[in-house]
Amino acid sequence: MKKTLKAGTLFICGLMAAVSCDDFVNVDPLYTRSADNFFRTPTDYQQALTGAYDPMQTSYLDLWIGEIASDNSIAGGEGVTDTEGLHQIDAMTHGGVNNELRSLWRWMYAGVTRTNYIFENRDKLEFDDKARIMGEASFLRGYYYFELVKFFGAVPLIVDRQLPPGEVSSQVRTPATEVYAQIEKDLQAAADALEWTTPVKGRITKGAALALLGKAYLYQNKFTEAATVLDQVINEGGYDLFNNFETMFRVVNEGSKETVFDIEYVGVEGGSYGCFVCLEGFAAVGFHGIRGYDGPVYADGNSYNLPTKDLYDAFESGDPRRDASILDIEAFIAAQEEPGKIKYVTGAGGHTGYYNKKYLKRSDELGLGDNDLTSPVNHKVIRFADVLLMAAEAHNRKPSANDNLALQYLNRVRTRPSVGMAALNLTGTALTEAIYRERRVELAGEGLRFFDLVRTGKAAEEIDGFEAGKHEVFPIPQDEIDLAGADWQQNPKY
Amino acid sequence: MKAKLLAILLMLSLVGYGQSPVRGRVTDENDQPLPGVNVLIKGTTLGTVTDASGEFRIDNVPADATLQISFIGYTSQELAVNGQSNVAVKLLPDVTSLDEVVVIGYGTTTVKELTGSVAVVNGNDLTALNPVRVEQALQGQAAGVQISAASGSPGAGLNIRIRGFTTNGDNTPLILVDDVPYDEDGLAALNPSDIETINVLKDGTAGIYGVRAANGVILITTKKGKKNAKPTIDFSGYYGVQQTTKRMDLLDAHEYAVLKNETYASGGGTPPFANPNLGKGTDWQDEVFEDAPIQNYNITISGGSEKSRYAIGGSYMNQQGIVGGDKSGYRRYNARVNFTVDILPKLTWENVLLYTNERRDMLPEMGIGSVLFNTINANPAASPWKEDGSYAFLEDVSEVINPLAQMANTFNRNTVNKVVGKQEINYKINDNFEVTGRAGYNYALVDEKQFNPLVYYGANKAQNTAANAALEPNLTKVSDDLSIPVYNNIRETRTTYFNYNFEAFLNYNRTFGVHKIKATLGTSMLGYDNRSLTGTGYNVPYNSNDFADISATESNNYLNNTSSWQDRTRLLSQFVRAEYGYGSKYMLSASVRRDGSTAFGANNRFGYFPAVSGAWVLSEESFFQTSAIQFMKLRASYGVSGNDKIRPNGFLSLLDGEGVYPFDNILANGVAIGRIGNPDLKWETTRQANFGVDLNILQDKVSITADYYVKTTKDLLFQPDISAIVGAYGAGSSTPIINGGTVRNRGLELRIDYHTQLAENLRVNIGYNITTIHNEVIALPPGVDFFEFGSFSVGGGTATRMQVGHPMGYFLGYETDGIYQTQAEIDERGVTQDPATTSPGDLRFVDQDGSKTIDFSGDTDKTRIGSPIPDAIMGLNVGMNFKGIDFSATFYASVGNEILRNYERQLPMSNMLTYNRGRWTGPGSTDEYPRLTTEATRNNVLSDFYIEDGSFVRLKNVQLGYTLPRAIVNRIGASRLRIYVAANNLLTFTKYKGFDPDFSNYDPNVSGIDYGFYPQAKSIMGGLNLTF
Repeated sequence: MKKTLKAGTLFICGLMAAVSCDDFVNVDPLYTRSADNFFRTPTDYQQALTGAYDPMQTSYLDLWIGEIASDNSIAGGEGVTDTEGLHQIDAMTHGGVNNELRSLWRWMYAGVTRTNYIFENRDKLEFDDKARIMGEASFLRGYYYFELVKFFGAVPLIVDRQLPPGEVSSQVRTPATEVYAQIEKDLQAAADALEWTTPVKGRITKGAALALLGKAYLYQNKFTEAATVLDQVINEGGYDLFNNFETMFRVVNEGSKETVFDIEYVGVEGGSYGCFVCLEGFAAVGFHGIRGYDGPVYADGNSYNLPTKDLYDAFESGDPRRDASILDIEAFIAAQEEPGKIKYVTGAGGHTGYYNKKYLKRSDELGLGDNDLTSPVNHKVIRFADVLLMAAEAHNRKPSANDNLALQYLNRVRTRPSVGMAALNLTGTALTEAIYRERRVELAGEGLRFFDLVRTGKAAEEIDGFEAGKHEVFPIPQDEIDLAGADWQQNPKY
Repeated sequence: MKAKLLAILLMLSLVGYGQSPVRGRVTDENDQPLPGVNVLIKGTTLGTVTDASGEFRIDNVPADATLQISFIGYTSQELAVNGQSNVAVKLLPDVTSLDEVVVIGYGTTTVKELTGSVAVVNGNDLTALNPVRVEQALQGQAAGVQISAASGSPGAGLNIRIRGFTTNGDNTPLILVDDVPYDEDGLAALNPSDIETINVLKDGTAGIYGVRAANGVILITTKKGKKNAKPTIDFSGYYGVQQTTKRMDLLDAHEYAVLKNETYASGGGTPPFANPNLGKGTDWQDEVFEDAPIQNYNITISGGSEKSRYAIGGSYMNQQGIVGGDKSGYRRYNARVNFTVDILPKLTWENVLLYTNERRDMLPEMGIGSVLFNTINANPAASPWKEDGSYAFLEDVSEVINPLAQMANTFNRNTVNKVVGKQEINYKINDNFEVTGRAGYNYALVDEKQFNPLVYYGANKAQNTAANAALEPNLTKVSDDLSIPVYNNIRETRTTYFNYNFEAFLNYNRTFGVHKIKATLGTSMLGYDNRSLTGTGYNVPYNSNDFADISATESNNYLNNTSSWQDRTRLLSQFVRAEYGYGSKYMLSASVRRDGSTAFGANNRFGYFPAVSGAWVLSEESFFQTSAIQFMKLRASYGVSGNDKIRPNGFLSLLDGEGVYPFDNILANGVAIGRIGNPDLKWETTRQANFGVDLNILQDKVSITADYYVKTTKDLLFQPDISAIVGAYGAGSSTPIINGGTVRNRGLELRIDYHTQLAENLRVNIGYNITTIHNEVIALPPGVDFFEFGSFSVGGGTATRMQVGHPMGYFLGYETDGIYQTQAEIDERGVTQDPATTSPGDLRFVDQDGSKTIDFSGDTDKTRIGSPIPDAIMGLNVGMNFKGIDFSATFYASVGNEILRNYERQLPMSNMLTYNRGRWTGPGSTDEYPRLTTEATRNNVLSDFYIEDGSFVRLKNVQLGYTLPRAIVNRIGASRLRIYVAANNLLTFTKYKGFDPDFSNYDPNVSGIDYGFYPQAKSIMGGLNLTF
């Protein structure tokens, strides 16, 4: 009996030992980098940063909505249910259920999260190049939040950490002023950390940070601050206007001196309609393509985002920028050698006869795979011309206006070679209006018009269906309000 | 003390009465020898086992001793020796053996004392059905166990579902063969004739297996041999011919031409056939289906000495496919060595070792692109061959290719080499304590080889890999100025699946008067280490499978690529169980298991799984005195178990997102979080209550077991949408897996066994079982109304849903209400049904929401139009023995399930089922089948027109055997010879139009969608069983 007890005791001890052997199941997965097990080398930081750049490559939505919501273009496409969200925005009938707005919300927060992942781990390692990496990360966060605040107004502000799913319901919509404060802080930090030039094409520079900061100030009507930083870009950045307005947007002229901030795209990787956020090409260009097109120069696309006659007519007579910015398809065909052989069709989503020529699919700029999705054309988000016009507006509208400088900037844009419009000589509100007009024609088709109209208070008079007090911001996607479960109030009147 | 007294008494008796050897022979009801029967001198541990001739000899038997003769499946007998030296014993089968051993996990009990719900199936009953895989035979044998084929192709797996669908994830039960875990696929390695018994733990008492037990537990024990038995050689074999169980009713060329002409004319087009008198044309099913052989041979040598027992065997199985012959064939070699030795008087060592070599060839199956899809939809007016003897192109149906060419061009072979074994030591410390330690392993090496030759099936076929009929390669652009040819390729994958387990447990067993106590305490460690490496090489010489190996390809081809994966999961467990019995009247059992798994998040790495059960044997009560009932027991159990088959590392945030951005115009690979982690992620939890009754009536001729179960599984795993502000929607990112959602299964199981002797030599036994399944989704994650699954037709949207208040995977679509006969009917109905696409002859849909408009863009007019889950499944086994002749039949039925017919491709020129003969042709012609037209209609939307009753009854096996008289058999030196003819799946009764109603898909949410299933074969076999 004693022996039995002894054996039993031994056995149970063995079991107890096993209990403390819980380490058996506390093992890491093999050959797998997990999020908590990263940031061990400078390369890790660089790779996380590359991952944070990636969501910018969804900028086709920013470009489209900025145009289609405005008086510049219509949605187009195969029919009114083809990317229905754009048609609703075109008609100003958009509401809380809108796939495009929801995608934008999702992707910009993906960008925010990827930058926050870097900030969350900023103290894990010190190394030489870290300031630059953190500077670029700061810029990216500033960019993503600027998109969010520009579209939606007050949005939840999450900074320097990844938000655990369990904390979503306690997130409030941070007032736009506070979001802007964070944007300013991030962009200033980026500007402080970065150089004017980078040896690597595509990396964010000090100029990009300051120009976006200037834009953020402008969107808040902080003209004095805007003027200061934009002057810095103009005077110290080494930028200049490109000598050919029309070819500036071609792939071969990427990275010219006029490029302040562009989002890089390449055509070497195929793409799939199942995952727009995965694309490496600029979807806007392929979709702008002429529907059913068979002919020279251009290539077949989906006829999205078609410029209006209103925009076409907004150019002063003789302004070469009209024909450089807008393709009049019939005129183009008529001018070809064998017009009868050129074919194209119109979609039931609308037809104006015009196409967005700055970002139009060309037969010599096709990506691999489905080339509607894989255009290698970069998205020029901030050009030097935009910086000059923003600076002009800031100097003109700031409390201690400097119309001379404003006019000088404006005329530099107007009179440059390849545009060659007559210099203006105006002051005060006349100058303001001239700058606004100049912005429209200079930057036509680049996704800025709607937001310019909103921030200058002109949206209601220029956009059919625009309701003041409502359409200045887009509605928060209703599903996101529901999923957050945090009692967010929808934007007014939606 | 008692034992000592007994020994003294025994010695006294030996001295007093003298001893002598006793010889005897044990036979069964047919006078056939019964080997392996236990013969014991009552009150002692002295005894032996009968040999292959059913004979035994025990020395030194007291003249007044009583022999106890017992054998599983037979009624035990006692025989007073009375000084005889030669005895003859005839055992009669006992289907209601209350002393039959039931394995309950880390211990055993008897049918009589069982408190849980366990189905026991005798291996011999399965072997008799000639299955290729053991699960095939298990179908219909055990109440509560639903088994359906995942494919009828040889070597394909089956879906085993115990008591309904418990999860939207992996419903496969835990399968242990000699305590070694097998996955369902791996069961193919097992030779069914090696199996001694199968025990299926169905209720909460399976909780002794904790976090792996929620889907039930299947415990398979292989044959081990018997002590003190002369070597017995068993040889069995059969050879048979298989055919498809069914051919679809398709149009012949003449009918096809007539109907296509009508189709085009109705749409305003030109009829394609100027002369529709094309005769029968090509019967593509004739071309594709073939009679295929199946053969299987086993040899087993078993026996034992006083201290050891062994079973050694080998088998060969070869099944060719009814589609493609050896292109979908399966072949298995199998060798087993089981032996058990008493190393020391109290120390036993058991060794189990299985080696299997399997080879399986596969054709494209299921859905668009499969051989049978092409067969069904091919134009019957087209010839399979061109005049020069090469395969014809079927160019008039864009998605259909010549199935004969497709089979010829398919080279897809899997080879499995597998070693499974166990080393177990059992030490009997004393009468009360016994300790067991074991190590098990299961190592499988799976080699897949797929040769993709350059092929061309005609213009614009998606399956073309060559640019043209001359088989020139396509070009692909690798950079802006370089294009390279895409040659044929060979892909080879080697995957090793390895699991190992260490278990130790202590069993305690003691009886104090009427109190009987048993206890079990143990620990278990289980690990899985799986890894895989794949390589693809381009340009196999001569475009020929003879050279299809990576070693023969271009080593520097730009397109060559490799990939690999690995996963490691581990499970650590402790468990304890206590059982108490009061007399034979009351039994109580309780267990708890603690499981920890690497699959769970840090916050929930360990779980506890308790179970309690009890039984009351009413028939033992003094007040219960009725001659009508011989045995009656009430049982109840409640237990908690888990399902750990969740994605490995699901709780972690892995850096497998996509973070690619071009710098200097070159794509840089960054890093991003993929799926967001969830440190709270844990197992799915199943709580099950079971109430049962066991009844023996009519002098034990009838035994009845009935159970009612309610099984609720919560914490189902989903990846629902979450707020985007956590950042889960970047490239390659996804939302966290969360626990949320509940499904409930409840139902009744009934098993009735009847056996009787009708005449001197005529014995009949009938077994019937029925299981009802009521499956209902109880909850989904907050904010989620439903999840959608499956697909209907091409681009036709989803087909099924998981939604609260409905069974899993129910079909959502439009309800039809006949056919519009006239334009007036359409106009005057008062319900608008898209006028642009509705004409007389079209399906008339029901306005579910009363909006007076049929909504084709939203879901408001869709409703539940069927469920893939049967109301009931049934099995019926009938056996008869008359002298040496045996007859048996096994039926299986599934009742009340629906199937979505999803193998028709409604292209203008694709062939059709013959129900289209009855299409609408004018007012009053039919109210069932819509008109044929190329016009746009809504007839192709998912509606109940495509839902069919999937109920069926199938004669799974029928067999007639004859056991030759002993006198004849002895002349060839054998002890037993039985010859038989048998047929599997001979008859199927169903209204279902498709090939085979007995199928299911692995994913419970699409289990009822028939994408063009490879039917199971009907086979006619002849075989023999020979014992030396």
